[in-house]
Amino acid sequence: MSQFAAYTVIGLSLGGIFALAALGIVLIFRATGVLNFAHGAMGMFSTFVAWQVFYGWDHPAWMPQWAVTAAAIAVGLAFAVLLGFVLELAVFRWIRTREPVVKAVITIGILLALQSAASLIWKNNQYHLPIYIAPETATYMVAGVPIGANYIVIVVVALLLAFGLGAFLKYTALGRAMRAVSDDPVSASLWAVPVDKVGAVSWMLGSLIAAVAGILITPFINFDTTSLTLLILDALAAALIGGLVSLPLTVLGGFMLGLLETYPTIWIQSLGFPRLVALTVILFVLIFRAPRGMSVAGR
Amino acid sequence: MKQGYLRRLVAAVIAFAALAWIPAGFDVGFQFDAALALVWGFCILSLVLLTGYVGQVSLCQATFAGVGAYAAGMMVSTFHAAYLVAIVVGVVASFALGLLVGLPALRLKGITLAIVTLGIALVFDRYVFQDHIFDWFTGGSGGWQVDSATLFGIRADSSTHLLAAYEILLALFCIVALLMVNLHQSGAGRRFRAIRDSELAAATMGVNLTRYKLLAFGLSAAIAGLGGSFYPLVAGSVSPQPFWVFTSLQFAAIAVLMGVRYVPAAALGGAFMAFVPDVLTRYGHGTFLNKYSYDISYDWFQLAVGVLLVIQLIALPDGVWGDLRGRAMRTWSALRARTSRRVSVA
Repeated sequence: MSQFAAYTVIGLSLGGIFALAALGIVLIFRATGVLNFAHGAMGMFSTFVAWQVFYGWDHPAWMPQWAVTAAAIAVGLAFAVLLGFVLELAVFRWIRTREPVVKAVITIGILLALQSAASLIWKNNQYHLPIYIAPETATYMVAGVPIGANYIVIVVVALLLAFGLGAFLKYTALGRAMRAVSDDPVSASLWAVPVDKVGAVSWMLGSLIAAVAGILITPFINFDTTSLTLLILDALAAALIGGLVSLPLTVLGGFMLGLLETYPTIWIQSLGFPRLVALTVILFVLIFRAPRGMSVAGR
Repeated sequence: MKQGYLRRLVAAVIAFAALAWIPAGFDVGFQFDAALALVWGFCILSLVLLTGYVGQVSLCQATFAGVGAYAAGMMVSTFHAAYLVAIVVGVVASFALGLLVGLPALRLKGITLAIVTLGIALVFDRYVFQDHIFDWFTGGSGGWQVDSATLFGIRADSSTHLLAAYEILLALFCIVALLMVNLHQSGAGRRFRAIRDSELAAATMGVNLTRYKLLAFGLSAAIAGLGGSFYPLVAGSVSPQPFWVFTSLQFAAIAVLMGVRYVPAAALGGAFMAFVPDVLTRYGHGTFLNKYSYDISYDWFQLAVGVLLVIQLIALPDGVWGDLRGRAMRTWSALRARTSRRVSVA
């Protein structure tokens, strides 16, 4: 029983990562009609920037460990925002009227470029120490089950960001503008909604969320340039469960997928098997329920 | 109509004659690249059929090629089959997998199909090609060693096998390319194009969507598998790395970059994919202005592919070959118009 509970904890935190990554994908897809295959790669690159600050550079002796962690995360997230802004300005602003498939193929180009750029800078086959938000050894006993502090951080951050994002879209002027653009960009621009600004903000926000997911997951996976890039499949699966529109369903889908991928590892010792689970979920969702967002944002 | 067939046949023969002598003067490294260029060329050709003709997105062509390669390796290593048999088995195995992948594709298109095929590529990369359950198919972590494989009396470890493999592959490539161009003009080709333009309209006109979409996936996978089943002969062994998910993504990127609607673009893309990384790693290190040393590794190739793809999709939507072809045709018709005007004045 305690083994089952331990796997539940792992599954939930893995699911929190999937949910976070999927939130960014859904946000960008709704606001710009781009299904971002490079989402994992973008998060990976920003995570490595944070890693560079955390481990790569010398820190002044007076800096306590928590300040180093905070600085690394701040630099990584700032870089993510910049990356999202630059990509929107340099690439996605110019292809707004193209078909959804062309937009998706462009993101594959960005995926390849970011992945190899990161491999060049940080050497793909090298072992990288993960970034710990909470101290690695800190654990809490909940109902007799030891839970690492880093697991709790993931679940809390995922839920907080999901609710925060939902509130942002619902209650702020910019959030309303984003929803207006995602419903119909032409009539939104006729109503003087700043479509360019909405696009830029969506990409910056999406990239930021990808970086959060990337930084949080480093203690739990093989931390290299390919694993984080390929996280995209699980994130896409969670996003598809949410129909590529619904934020609550996406978060729920992320947690569900995390559990579904973790429980079989009790019996099946295989690194590749969770990919099969993700593919099965994707096929199941797509065949029995076409993503609602396709008709809304998939112009 | 007859004339068109004859013209295409002559073009294929000329292409073979022009390309056949090229690697003769190369060293072994470049001969390997030349043979590999055709293996990758088949994979990109399979995308020309699937994406260019039928409009179906696929991010798992390297998986089809990998299944062909592993099936061929298994036939040679486990069953000691003749290499010709191994190739046939490789093509059939890929064809079967293509039909299987085509099943979900019946209900999907565009982006959702891209997601599913990415998932298939990832499952085969991380699970089937690497897990111990499938050791009977993949030969374990060491893969298959097929040094003693023999095709038409050419052993895979002989000194001339690369050149011979190149000639056989080139002949096959020209034949398959010719068949594909002819297919494009045939009734089946018209049905394929109708599906590409609008599935709904095609179905309304009586095109059997199930049959033709499955056929497209099967044929495309078989073409990729044909290239892949030659891989063991060319490389002497099979391992997961060449057929991992990033190769699939590179195939898609390079096919679009070169012009996914054009058959010659596949040969161009294959050559690009085989030669450029090797040339980069071979000559890409030294010092610049006697001061700055540089070392260009394989990763620079993928970086370039990604950046070029983004630029191409924004600036030249029809791909490199499509753009060149369009320019040449415009120049040609402008020249013709000018000469005909002169004639009429005279």
